[in-house]
Amino acid sequence: RSPGSGTKLLYSSVCSSRSGDNDSIKVFVRVRPLTQDTGLTTDGDQNLCLTVTSNNTIRLHSKPEPRTFTYDHVADMDVSQDSVFAGVAKNIVESCMNGYNGTIFAYGQTGSGKTFTMLGPSDSDNFTDELRGVIPRSFEYLFSLINKEVERSKSFLCKCSFIEIYNEQIYDLLDSASATLFLRENIKKGVFVEGAVEKFVTSASEAYQVLSMGWRNRRVASTSMNRESSRSHAVFTMALESKETVNKLVNIRTSQLNLVDLAGSERQKDTHTEGSRLKEASSINLSLMCLGQVIMSLVDVANGKNRHICYRDSKLTFLLRDSLGGNAKTYIIANVHPGSKCFGETLSTLQFAQRAKLIKNKAMINEDSQGNVR
Amino acid sequence: DPVGNMASVNSSDWRAICEQFTTALNLTEVESRKDPENDPFRSKYKAREILREIYSALKNFEATEADSETSGERGEEQVVDGEKDGQCFYGDSPAGWRAAKLAAVEYFLGVNHIETEELSAGQEHLMNCMKLIDKWSTSSMNVSLVIHVKNQLGILWSGRGETETAKAFLETAEGTYLRYMKKEGSPPTDMTEYFSTEENQLTHQERTKRFELAYTHTKYYLAQVYQYLGETELSATYCHSTLQRQLQLNQFNPMEWALNAATLSQYYINKGLYMEGRHCLSAATVISGLAGEVPSEAAAEESEREQERRDQLRQKRADIARCWIKYCLNLLLDAKKALEDNIGELDGDRQEELKAARRAEVEEEEKSRKSALLFGSEDTFDSIASLEEKVQSLTPLDFTDARALFLVGQTYVTQAKEYFEMDGFVTDHIEILQDHSALFRALAFFEDDLERRCKMHKRRVDMLEPICNDLNGHYYLVIRRQLMFELAEIYNEMMDLKLTVANCQSDSETLDSHTIKKLNHLCGASAKFFEMFLESLRSPEGKLPEVLEEEVLRPALVARFRVARLYSRVICPVISDKLENLNKSLDHYKYVAQYGDAHPEASAAVETELELSREMVSLLPIKINRLKAQMISNN
Repeated sequence: RSPGSGTKLLYSSVCSSRSGDNDSIKVFVRVRPLTQDTGLTTDGDQNLCLTVTSNNTIRLHSKPEPRTFTYDHVADMDVSQDSVFAGVAKNIVESCMNGYNGTIFAYGQTGSGKTFTMLGPSDSDNFTDELRGVIPRSFEYLFSLINKEVERSKSFLCKCSFIEIYNEQIYDLLDSASATLFLRENIKKGVFVEGAVEKFVTSASEAYQVLSMGWRNRRVASTSMNRESSRSHAVFTMALESKETVNKLVNIRTSQLNLVDLAGSERQKDTHTEGSRLKEASSINLSLMCLGQVIMSLVDVANGKNRHICYRDSKLTFLLRDSLGGNAKTYIIANVHPGSKCFGETLSTLQFAQRAKLIKNKAMINEDSQGNVR
Repeated sequence: DPVGNMASVNSSDWRAICEQFTTALNLTEVESRKDPENDPFRSKYKAREILREIYSALKNFEATEADSETSGERGEEQVVDGEKDGQCFYGDSPAGWRAAKLAAVEYFLGVNHIETEELSAGQEHLMNCMKLIDKWSTSSMNVSLVIHVKNQLGILWSGRGETETAKAFLETAEGTYLRYMKKEGSPPTDMTEYFSTEENQLTHQERTKRFELAYTHTKYYLAQVYQYLGETELSATYCHSTLQRQLQLNQFNPMEWALNAATLSQYYINKGLYMEGRHCLSAATVISGLAGEVPSEAAAEESEREQERRDQLRQKRADIARCWIKYCLNLLLDAKKALEDNIGELDGDRQEELKAARRAEVEEEEKSRKSALLFGSEDTFDSIASLEEKVQSLTPLDFTDARALFLVGQTYVTQAKEYFEMDGFVTDHIEILQDHSALFRALAFFEDDLERRCKMHKRRVDMLEPICNDLNGHYYLVIRRQLMFELAEIYNEMMDLKLTVANCQSDSETLDSHTIKKLNHLCGASAKFFEMFLESLRSPEGKLPEVLEEEVLRPALVARFRVARLYSRVICPVISDKLENLNKSLDHYKYVAQYGDAHPEASAAVETELELSREMVSLLPIKINRLKAQMISNN
């Protein structure tokens, strides 16, 4: 499997969903400012490939006709970190407090500002920095809510884990010495990474420390172990458990907040514009693995029948199943770079984000139409 | 010296070229995999330089030979003449050799450029290659190269989204292969042999293997091209023959092959082609056996590699078992569909009709079996055939046949559950249980004895109810909804059956208290699960949605409707209780009717239920009022 296949599958599950109005997934597009040190613009080229036309539309200067895309929110270059947080994460953190799962994805090509949006400036470990990103702000907000609730005799338990998915292998970023980990399901706990380190945290700054430790490990791994971070997905999970005693009855609620930094979208080229590219045979070990994928797509054509497809989900889609059309609040932040050199990538990011809107909660009920009325 | 070129084959210059070629191949295939991320094409660029050197060296050979003797030119004339006469001297001519060698270098240069993302340059080289040899494409010296170059052009054009162009190249590759095999058939020269010294020539066997593999790839690419073009049936045929060729030529990885074949079975099953589906599954089971024994738990604990192997083998075999389950289930469901009357009961007349037609069908089957594309190598053919014989592929027409199929399915359920345990694979495990439940349900259709039929449904309850209760609704919302709905329906069905049995014995006025208790219990259980399902639709804030989402629209309204009916069917001797139930019933009918009024678009999904609900909303109050009056007069 190619390194980016996580997002690839995410993408295909997005595409296969049907359209309709649904608020289970929201999309926030953020345009980063034009600077010259990103390597994405040639010096002096100040041409832009897009214009933000309102707070939920963006116009891409494509030829012959410009194209307009509509999202839940579009933020132009001058948007502050705080208003990104307010637009995306505030609501999700609040519903996590109410026992619902929440997930925030950052999507976009390398250099489009994902890390800046999620974490903040890369060289700063400063928790009070005005430029800090969505994640540290979510921590602060979450713990401020917790502290309010604690006064009302509710108790909270909060633990963090941080993993990286590279080449369909799972690595623990909180324990860089550990072997690769496996996904497992449990009737009570749902899908989880077996054996991942869980760190208990009691404040926003503790949570932030766990995060930065993992982030450092990710950087170390990318240089010393030859894992390229733009090809890996990083998933930071905060599990929240609240306990409340009402009339001697103990009421326990659990929820999860997933913060996901997806692999750079430019790595999934072949699934976007080049969807019809042939899968080649790897003659070395006689592998025609992709034949299975071809057949799968043939089987998908037939509807309404029982079938079993032998190929597993990608690790990322499996882990975040709930967030992709399940029982959760999900926001995708699509980061784009406005430079004219980035036109192709920006277009595919905007298209991805638009398809993401179509993800639906697939609650299919096996109901027999024959025996309705008797 | 019959071939001018042969003289140089053993010269030191020629040997140097051969060595260069080997180096270039090694750089492309082996070294390139170790290239660093920031210089990904280093080895390929090196290989390209070498290939260019070979190219000009070959051109030099040509020049010197043309200078020293005029036979070169004559050679070419000869070829042209040969063509005119309909014969081909090409393989023996020095010009032919040179052209082939140049063409091969063009081919490798083309692939090199494509791999380094210079597509236009790559295309040019490939087209040059074609031009050099296209005239003699079915000669034994060129045919392999022709197929390779056309495969590459197919890949190139499909990458550009020009699927039709890709298809054309691949189809001509196929045509070339077929023409060659018809005309010659002996294993042709492999293009790497153009650059090997005499002592390094390939064996007959190795030549065959490489040639056939190139053509297998043509089939594999065509399968994809047809899929992109929406030619599903053709694509499936090509998937099938790709698998078939892999097997016959012994060019496969057993577990991967088996999984692909099992997946293909799902295509056939969905098309209602059970004989083909069974064939794929039998082959998948037999071939997966070639992957070897599953390492023991003890061995797995010793080494990580054995652990992984153990896990892989167990999982894939369990996956194949699950494909078998779907086979049995779909076949049973198709049989049910063919045999049921308009209220979902077994239609006896139809059954007789189909049984009569069956005799002719069996004969037909014999014939079509022979014409069907069959899997199998000499060693595996018998095992596959004997596995097939154990499972029927015609729709069962009576309980005995249905039961046989059910039992096969049940065996695979057990097998699949061994790997997909609840603890570790919740979703998979429950899916298997849902299939098991569906198998029981389909079998129950064939059962005449209503008591026994009821017991089958009870088995379904026993396997699903505990899980539905234990499952964390927070993480498994969708699955839980499915289970709640299914359980509600099973209880509903059981109640209907009990009532039918009871009514046979006596009229409903004189039911004994035990039966009444039983009926009310089933009624209550069914209503409970329908209501649990409806509860699961509430928002985080506890509100019921004003607009039902498309996926739950029909189930939600049907659940309401059923609950309404269930409340009206509870048998209660006390009038005030009955009144209470009828009021609840009315509320639910009202909900459905009002939802239909407010959302006209919903009526398509629940036409009958909506109509009946509206009727009940007007009729029930009359009944309620009558009961009220009765209550007053009793007092």
